[in-house]
Amino acid sequence: MSDATLATPPMRRFRVSRRALPYLLSLPALLACILILIPFATAVGYSLQRYRLSQPWAREWNWGQNYVDLFNDPAFWNTLRVSLSYAFVVVGIELLLGLGIALLLQRRTRFNNFVSIMLLMPLMTAPALAALMWKLMTNPGFGILSYFMALIGFPDFRWAASPNTAFLTVVLVDVWVYTPFIMILLLAGLRSLPQQPFEAAALDGVPRLFVFWRITLPMLTPYLLTAVLFRMIESIQQFDIIYAMTQGGPGNRLTVFQVEAYLNFFQATNVGRSAAILMILWVITYILSTIFIKNWLRLREKTRAGA
Amino acid sequence: MDTMSPLERVLRGIAITLVILFFMFPIFWIFLMSFQTNETILRVPPSIVFEPTIANYQALLTGRLETAAGTLEIRFMRNLFNSLFLSTASVALALVLGIPAAYAFARLKFRGSEEIAFTLLSFRFAPPLLVLLPLVIYFQQIGLANTYIGLIWVYQLICLPLILWIVRGYFEDIPADIEHAYRIAGHRWFTTFRKVALPLAGPGIAAAGLLAFIFAWNNFIFALVLASADKQPVTVGALAFVTASGIQFGQIAAAIVLSIAPVFALALYAQRYLVEGLSLGAVKG
Amino acid sequence: MTIKLTDVVKSFKNEVVLDGVSLSVEAGETLVLFGPSGAGKTVLLRLIAGVIDPDEGRIEVNGRDMEGVEPEDRGMGMAFQNFALFPHMTAFDNIASPLTARRQNRTTLKAGVESVAKLLKIDHVLGHMPKALSNGQKQRTALARALAAKPNVLLLDDPLRNVDAKLRFEMRLELPRLLKQQNATVIYVTQDYKEAMAFGDRIAVMDGHGIRQVGTPEHIYLRPASTKIASLFGDPAINLLEVRPERGEHGVQVRLSGRAIPLDRRHAASIGHDCLLGVRPETIRFVPEGTPGAVPVEVEAETPLNEKTVTLVWTRQRREIMVSRPSGSIGPAHGRAWIVIDPGHAMLFDKESGARIDPSSDAAALQGEVA
Repeated sequence: MSDATLATPPMRRFRVSRRALPYLLSLPALLACILILIPFATAVGYSLQRYRLSQPWAREWNWGQNYVDLFNDPAFWNTLRVSLSYAFVVVGIELLLGLGIALLLQRRTRFNNFVSIMLLMPLMTAPALAALMWKLMTNPGFGILSYFMALIGFPDFRWAASPNTAFLTVVLVDVWVYTPFIMILLLAGLRSLPQQPFEAAALDGVPRLFVFWRITLPMLTPYLLTAVLFRMIESIQQFDIIYAMTQGGPGNRLTVFQVEAYLNFFQATNVGRSAAILMILWVITYILSTIFIKNWLRLREKTRAGA
Repeated sequence: MDTMSPLERVLRGIAITLVILFFMFPIFWIFLMSFQTNETILRVPPSIVFEPTIANYQALLTGRLETAAGTLEIRFMRNLFNSLFLSTASVALALVLGIPAAYAFARLKFRGSEEIAFTLLSFRFAPPLLVLLPLVIYFQQIGLANTYIGLIWVYQLICLPLILWIVRGYFEDIPADIEHAYRIAGHRWFTTFRKVALPLAGPGIAAAGLLAFIFAWNNFIFALVLASADKQPVTVGALAFVTASGIQFGQIAAAIVLSIAPVFALALYAQRYLVEGLSLGAVKG
Repeated sequence: MTIKLTDVVKSFKNEVVLDGVSLSVEAGETLVLFGPSGAGKTVLLRLIAGVIDPDEGRIEVNGRDMEGVEPEDRGMGMAFQNFALFPHMTAFDNIASPLTARRQNRTTLKAGVESVAKLLKIDHVLGHMPKALSNGQKQRTALARALAAKPNVLLLDDPLRNVDAKLRFEMRLELPRLLKQQNATVIYVTQDYKEAMAFGDRIAVMDGHGIRQVGTPEHIYLRPASTKIASLFGDPAINLLEVRPERGEHGVQVRLSGRAIPLDRRHAASIGHDCLLGVRPETIRFVPEGTPGAVPVEVEAETPLNEKTVTLVWTRQRREIMVSRPSGSIGPAHGRAWIVIDPGHAMLFDKESGARIDPSSDAAALQGEVA
């Protein structure tokens, strides 16, 4: 190579400047971002309007009226109560069960790995289809679970069809689908913990329960937090299982946020009210997801540093 | 850990058996049901002994159901096709949009990059109906209502954040010097991206794509709100099928089996990456 | 090609890495960037390669400003400390990468790769993937890749850092000859002073975000700008003894254990100031008792280091001095011994600033007048 090669500035090809390149690369994602933000902004607008699909001519800004109406409506408080109790109950059960199973499968044996992969199957089942499966099993005519209930002395156990047991039935399906999520996250967490503290504790003859509370749990906290917050955000928005199972019924037993908003939109055609309900849900999930993302980032940093 | 008492061993065994029973039984039972006729399904007491039939699958595959009342048309194969098409196209689009952005966020840190990345991540957590309901109205106005294009766009809500954050992690794992070396050797930025960054992040990209496919396949609410019968995927179609076919329980079970089998196969194939995908790249399995 | 850096500044996230660096490298010379880790050597090399941009300052190659010139257009070759081989390509394809970029046809490309591989003795492993190569082969592949296109500028980032001692020894013998053959301008980064002295036509000593001294190896060794630089070169490190020069019979002298050691008379300006006397261990000799000017010492420990033997001795004031002599030469018996310091090789440093007081410079004279 001669000096001349370098001295002639390369002009042959179109060149993107170094500064512009990253923007150009993320432009498509950025556009997708903006395109999704438009309906979001529209939804905020709807929530501040009197807007019924059945009466488009009566559409007008009524500012906070939809929210005022909601707060004065027992149906909304029912929605809030059902959503929160649903989220807390499912996450609580899934956490305990998931942690228990993760501890059972902690050791890396062939059998344990096989079981943990098998347990992923419920998680990989579409929640709407899972609901359908459980509907088939709890059918009063031929459902295997209804049969079992009859065997143990509940001949007419109605599962999701009865106001008394609908909540628990849906919780059961949610637990079936999502416990493996917490389990697999905690299992990954448990298996990535450094071994020295445990070996030291074993050498010193520290009781196992003490080791669990004082070493395992504290070290597992970031994983627990990530799993719980993730599930919290998802379960407070749960729609698929509940809608596929009971469509919010019987009565208003399971009219959680998104189901209530869906029914308000498509059945009552009350767009303004539906949007207001969703905005309130959004505020709740936004707060949760802010906490989640902080914790998630810390965990991500740790994982990357270890990689 | 190696010094387990016999009692503990037994208790652990019982616990694991119960866990497997609870999580596996529904799948096992539905699988059995899919090979049964209505008569054996409706038997009391139920039994796992029966003469298996593939009639349910036949009915689904041929799209017609012969009953005493006459021939009924079943659109389940259409749903299956829709699921396949929607998921594949959505993942393809998400890869096209997400990979360059993931690379930019991983390598060429720039002003506003983290903000965009986090906004995209937050979509994953926003209530989907919040975006879907205005889209019902918009799509009607701009002619995207009940189109594949409209649905594929909305599917980006779940596919894009996943692809972006997982692939970003894989790009970050490639030592920057390897790319520097290729550039210094005399290759353009784009050649380097194509010949070095992409092949090295390849397994991660494939895994992220598979996972995004699974999530798209399992989605219910998008199509429920935005698609009518001829564009609906299996998740929505199966539900509609229940009301349509009424009492053909064996077929419902067969439809469920056909709908979840592809996902199980993919999940099994990508299971090494599953934890990472489920935690959006925060935890490695 | 000449390389010229002017007032180059670079920081990462508010942390200054290079604080106004200026340097010029002559065409065809081998310049060694030497310094402790964290001094900014690697960053400087990357700035020249163009994979990162300076915040301020100019980088010129053959007089042409490199701002906005992409790394692929700079026509340089670079070898990385961690090798940075492309893990998905064979050794052949790794080495060929600069040639494919230059769109060479298949035959010239093959010939090019094979000749450089032969030169580096890796022609038998060209079909291997990097993970099948030994560390030494990886390192040679990385070097071959840097050399393959016969670039006019070669940037070598501590290429011997991650290889074992035996290989490093071999390469230390082989590499200077190889680099001379290339006829390229070479910038070689290292933390090893022996490598620096063996390879460099000139050495630029980096420390604390900048270049502290540039000069030939002899110059840096014999006339280091500061105690810091003096200590970086030489093993065992230079002895630094607190002294206060005084007026003696023959001019200027310092006292060690009561014995006067004469200094260059031009050090008169330092009389009465607190100074450090820098004496390289190999310029100290053991002498028989009664030799004029000999300093009595206590022999504390002796360590043979291959070709030389290092003795730690204590003066009467319990000051430690390292003495090094060729192994096999006669050393002192245990206990008491006498040493002579060669005044011609003794250096004087200002105790406070650590700067070497150069008796020939005007600055020293001026300092004396003010005092």
